[in-house]
Amino acid sequence: MARSVWKGPFVDSYLLKKAEVARASGRNDVIKTWSRRSTILPQFVGLTFGVYNGHKFIPVLVTENMVGQKFGEFSPTRTYFGHQADRKSRRG
Amino acid sequence: MAVDMVEDPEDAGDARVCVGVISGAHGLQGLVRVRPFTDVAEDVGAYGPVQSEDGTREFALDVRNRTGKGQILVAITGVGDRDAAEALKGEKLYVSRDRLPSPDEGEFYHADLVGLDVVTTEGQALGTVRALHDFGAGEMLEILDTGGRLGTVMFTLAAVPDIDLAARRVTVDGAAVLWPGNDPSDSAADSVADSAADSQENSGDSGPDGGVDG
Repeated sequence: MARSVWKGPFVDSYLLKKAEVARASGRNDVIKTWSRRSTILPQFVGLTFGVYNGHKFIPVLVTENMVGQKFGEFSPTRTYFGHQADRKSRRG
Repeated sequence: MAVDMVEDPEDAGDARVCVGVISGAHGLQGLVRVRPFTDVAEDVGAYGPVQSEDGTREFALDVRNRTGKGQILVAITGVGDRDAAEALKGEKLYVSRDRLPSPDEGEFYHADLVGLDVVTTEGQALGTVRALHDFGAGEMLEILDTGGRLGTVMFTLAAVPDIDLAARRVTVDGAAVLWPGNDPSDSAADSVADSAADSQENSGDSGPDGGVDG
């Protein structure tokens, strides 16, 4: 069942405070969080969060199209057995 | 791990990458099913003849078709019946790293980065690159330190300012690396809030739980 609209999006208050402090400081520090359940809000765009997946923190650079998702969606908890024979990456 | 990098830097030119594994036989004419490890499945046969894991045998692959489960059907020169195809089940297929086309400017093959030493901009050794992942929020490097801890860092120019493939070294901004555990800089209040929220979540409390609505 979907969350009632009148409640608005859920976000843990301490995470909101951490984000406000980080934004006010202007530094680009990674904000460690265990709050996978929190919704990504528009004021988080541009910040980098380290979202815990049970044994490590996955860095999540928040972009506009992530707004409305939960942090946990970007930090999978299952072991990843991918392959990378000819996969390439470019630094963002 | 699909990438089979040679440990000795002097032998780095002999590095091979695993492009797939033969998962079984298909039909009676000697076709085999291959589980590809390449970005594009059909590229298993695009880099020329492949070698067996021990390097003693070489196979010329002719990619025929895709199966429904992300695998491909391949004809191998010299394999003409089902018995011969079944004998190859489980065989890993390798190509020399040199056969892969040169990456574009600023691009790096994961196979080149895995196993490189990681140092901070101050010169402190952190460990080695274990893997690269992208879970939808940007590329990240996974770092394995000598103590067995796993660290992560965004694969950005700011966090990873220098990659020296010749020296087999990746330079990262030490402050941007995330290690498990609390940061000393985290205030006690944050830790209390975290643990309080966790306990409420575990107790199944559906009431106000420290979150902000709206």
